[in-house]
Amino acid sequence: MGVFAFLPLVLPLTAWPIARLAEQHLHPRTATRLLTAVAAVMAACSTLCLALVMVVGTAQLPGNPLPDGWSDPEVRAAVPYDEVVGKAAIPALCAVLAACARTLWRHTRVRRRAHRALAGLPATGVAVLPDETPYAYALPGGRRDRVVVTTGLLERLRPAERRALFAHERAHLTAGHHRFLLTVQLAARANPFLRPLRTAVAYTAERWADEEAARHVGSRRTVALAIGKAALVSRGIPAPTLAGFAAPGPVPRRVAALLGPEPAVRRWPSLFTAVGLAAWCAAAGTAVSAMSSANAAVTMVLILHAATPL
Amino acid sequence: MTERRQGSRRRGQGELEALVLSALGEADGPATAGWVQERLGGDLAYTTVITILTRLLAKGAVTRERSGRSFAWTPASDQAGLAAHRMRRVLDAESDRGAVLASFVTGLGPDDERLLRDLLGRAGHTGRTHSEGED
Repeated sequence: MGVFAFLPLVLPLTAWPIARLAEQHLHPRTATRLLTAVAAVMAACSTLCLALVMVVGTAQLPGNPLPDGWSDPEVRAAVPYDEVVGKAAIPALCAVLAACARTLWRHTRVRRRAHRALAGLPATGVAVLPDETPYAYALPGGRRDRVVVTTGLLERLRPAERRALFAHERAHLTAGHHRFLLTVQLAARANPFLRPLRTAVAYTAERWADEEAARHVGSRRTVALAIGKAALVSRGIPAPTLAGFAAPGPVPRRVAALLGPEPAVRRWPSLFTAVGLAAWCAAAGTAVSAMSSANAAVTMVLILHAATPL
Repeated sequence: MTERRQGSRRRGQGELEALVLSALGEADGPATAGWVQERLGGDLAYTTVITILTRLLAKGAVTRERSGRSFAWTPASDQAGLAAHRMRRVLDAESDRGAVLASFVTGLGPDDERLLRDLLGRAGHTGRTHSEGED
């Protein structure tokens, strides 16, 4: 078995090509769901394997609270037993858990604070704030779902573009995009190799809402104009992008996509085109890596379960 | 009473500020903290009302003038203005808010602006040759 147990830690690398391809060639809705699922599975497997490497590597160290049976000779024969790696896995696992807890905590804190800031306003689905700074976002909160938008942004858009803006934000809330975003956020914390998936899902979720908005207002061009104008007037807001990064940022890509043809709602491209072949290969690679991750994790759980004296 | 006060604490600062501000808005003119407290049905301690009014003053949501031995308070901005102020503070405090709240647009990179203007120029041109709202 040997190195097999460590594979789930590095296999997320194989998800990079599919993230690129799905982002460019799949319908944004399919891409968002697919990439989020892949990220969640791979993050869970990677964390599980990290925990098991730690358990097997450290269960027989003196003063360890874990059952000695978890590191029996049979277990060590089947999975890599390494004190150094086992010990190194302890801080790694702690870091993963702390980072995930921090992300969750911050997520709930921002949502709570934003809702509290809106206390006192009528409980409507849209909160218009008298503020010169142009911004708009969807604030999820179950029945208290709200679209927050400032007068500074609204007065720079034409009526049709405002409808596009509201349709976009409502699409975020209706489809529960914050859950996808939180999932990939946590996955990226669990395994840094999954970060490209987080970036990809952040983009495809916006594209998904853009397409919904375009369907709602009946014009892709109007949505494109609304996004373009909003981006140009919000320039002052610090960009979370890397300075000097050569590739075009998400906003121009979204506008360009909306000015292009509507994406097809097919599940998968045909196998007999170059794009289709590449997508299928990438998907197969991801599936295999996810399955081997899961396989390694399940095998180790079973071994440890069998070795645990009950 | 204690239980009720705890209840009001649980309501959170934003809500208390909103309550005090709306009570102040119902006054005919400048009102004292005692009047606000009475208006709120004695739910809040006098000192709490003073604290909240002082906080609102710092946010520019109320103004005050000396009348006799105490202050008379007047609302300066409405609920929406206060909410906007609080929201800005929340957003400014969260450097990585994009990770939590899906904004309509993210910031633009160095070359993005030129690229975006090109695209919009093209879209505007298309719009003149085709009818509005057509794809």
